[in-house]
Amino acid sequence: MRQKLQSALEASALEIEDVSYQHAGHAAVKDNANETHFNIRVISSKFEGQSLVKRHRMVYGLLTDELNSGLHAISIVAKTPTESGS
Amino acid sequence: MAASASAARLLAGDSLTIHVSSRPQLAMVSALPRSSPPTWRLGRPVRLSTSSPHARSVRCLAAGGGLAPEMRATLDKVVASHKVVLFMKGTKDFPQCGFSHTVVQILRSLDVPFETLDVLANEALRQGLKDYSRWPTFPQLYIDGEFFGGCDITVEAYKSGELQETLEKAMCS
Repeated sequence: MRQKLQSALEASALEIEDVSYQHAGHAAVKDNANETHFNIRVISSKFEGQSLVKRHRMVYGLLTDELNSGLHAISIVAKTPTESGS
Repeated sequence: MAASASAARLLAGDSLTIHVSSRPQLAMVSALPRSSPPTWRLGRPVRLSTSSPHARSVRCLAAGGGLAPEMRATLDKVVASHKVVLFMKGTKDFPQCGFSHTVVQILRSLDVPFETLDVLANEALRQGLKDYSRWPTFPQLYIDGEFFGGCDITVEAYKSGELQETLEKAMCS
């Protein structure tokens, strides 16, 4: 997942955190609270000029396979280098 | 005008071209005034010209495959039925998901009237919405008939004041 996001978005910074454990016992997570919920923080110049909805859609689009197989929810922070102050 | 250009692209590339005359069996067809065929072909109200650019592209992108026209028409009606519509997991009094709960809290604190729909109670609605919004997760917030975002976006917009602004505009319109 990291590779996909990194290469497609040419991310200058990419942090992925698996927080599935925080959601164990949640209605939709059946037996396996593994790799179901992630926090993703990505900084990429590709987000320049894109609304938040578009940026999130870009990320979702890259993760369609994962979303169809176990990945349940992702929390996305998508910023441009300028916005993140780096 | 950008709106009609994108509509033309939609019709050209999309297999979901529904011409009013060739689908007489659909109840929606007869309900629509003949004077507005473009509305029907787009499958959604022609409000694109007054929307912000991002909302316009949301409409174009949202013509996903696999979404039945009846479902699309129903969802069109639902999102237009109230100024603020939240598709969530659980109900506003009993959210069944942390993200959904967060959005409910935010809307409550802003004191806006909002309608919620429980996607856990209806699998067809849940799947239909994912295609309709081209958004794979819930909650999904619609303001004034337009997709606004999920939990992250709503929180960001709340912090930046953009959410309040958008809501105010919707309430006054």
